[in-house]
Amino acid sequence: MSATAMTPEERQALAAEYVLGTLDAATVRMVALAAALDPVLADEIADWEMALAPLQDLATPEAPPPELWDRIAGTLEPAAAPLPARRKASWFWPAWSFGATVVAGSLAAILLVRPPAPAERMMTVLLSSRDQPAWVVEADRAGLRLAALNPRAAPADRAMQLWALPQGATAPTSLGLIPRESGEVRVSASQIRPEPGMLIEITLEPPGGSPTGRPTGPVLFIGRLSPATGT
Amino acid sequence: MESETPLSELILLVADGDRRALRSIYQRESTRLFGIANAVLRDRDAAADAVHDAFVRIAARAGQYDQTRGVASAWLGAIVRYAALDIARARGREIPSDDPALGDSAIAPEAIELLDAKAEGARLRACLLTLEERIRNGILLAFVHGLSHAEVAAKLGEPLGTVKSWIRRGLLRLRECLA
Repeated sequence: MSATAMTPEERQALAAEYVLGTLDAATVRMVALAAALDPVLADEIADWEMALAPLQDLATPEAPPPELWDRIAGTLEPAAAPLPARRKASWFWPAWSFGATVVAGSLAAILLVRPPAPAERMMTVLLSSRDQPAWVVEADRAGLRLAALNPRAAPADRAMQLWALPQGATAPTSLGLIPRESGEVRVSASQIRPEPGMLIEITLEPPGGSPTGRPTGPVLFIGRLSPATGT
Repeated sequence: MESETPLSELILLVADGDRRALRSIYQRESTRLFGIANAVLRDRDAAADAVHDAFVRIAARAGQYDQTRGVASAWLGAIVRYAALDIARARGREIPSDDPALGDSAIAPEAIELLDAKAEGARLRACLLTLEERIRNGILLAFVHGLSHAEVAAKLGEPLGTVKSWIRRGLLRLRECLA
């Protein structure tokens, strides 16, 4: 499931069922992941949380076991340390708690559990200059696919061009212009052979693309391919 | 005077690493929050795990709290409920399914009158009352008691697919009503 593939109705229903709690664990993970990358979905979830929050009052209050606070404090020590490692994967956490790095890790994890897992699958999330996840790139030896996480188009008089820079190469290879409508690009292995460490970037170019064969405009989004199998 | 510090301010202090503020939140809210977890899990040990997990998340996520997106107590309650649901899912939700105390009467009709205590709750109750009773009960069983679609279907004695679409339609109607 990609965030962009959802219709508004599906988005609304998923957000509602996520908050209601009826979704199974795998779907919850996907919704949490999608929400991390899709602010509209995250807003829907927040709206539903607000709408249904009064139902929390229907649970009968009950005092917790007396030692519970000490246990919590023990887990949180030492105070300065970041969150301790947990038994369960962190992608159960509601979406907006993720940083972009965690998002990339979560995507890798999702690809990992998606059966069957083809060998040598790679991915990256292209981040904006403000570290916002904007595009996802999935790749294997057969080629590469770019999809928009938050659909956004270039200014009317500009085009967005996709590039790949293999490690060690001095000049990037153009993978073509990003279609304004779909925001999706598929590249076959005959154009580029994806490999881990390859830099993927999107630049702003004149309509029709860079006239020189090299990027001429600013880099809008950038990311580096990594194996979907390591964590 | 910490009891007079609004919860939302305590959360902001937690975001700055103030462990005493987290403890104040715990002291003030843990009975309500443990009740939310225990309603989902009906197992005090598991509910304690859920509240534990939730407070670890609250400590880590306090900086994400957005006061414009709802009151602090609801934010805390949602984190606890998600933590409890995670545990219920990890256990295959086997706990609630054969609990005889959880019949259709688990949430007595008068119980949702509790919602009238707050303005937004009264509004939600009015909208819930526009739904067919079994759909309303399905939504309440899911939210308050953490029942899955399949468990709600078993409770109501209806096919799973029917219950799924009832609940979905019921939710969307609620949203229209609340809008």
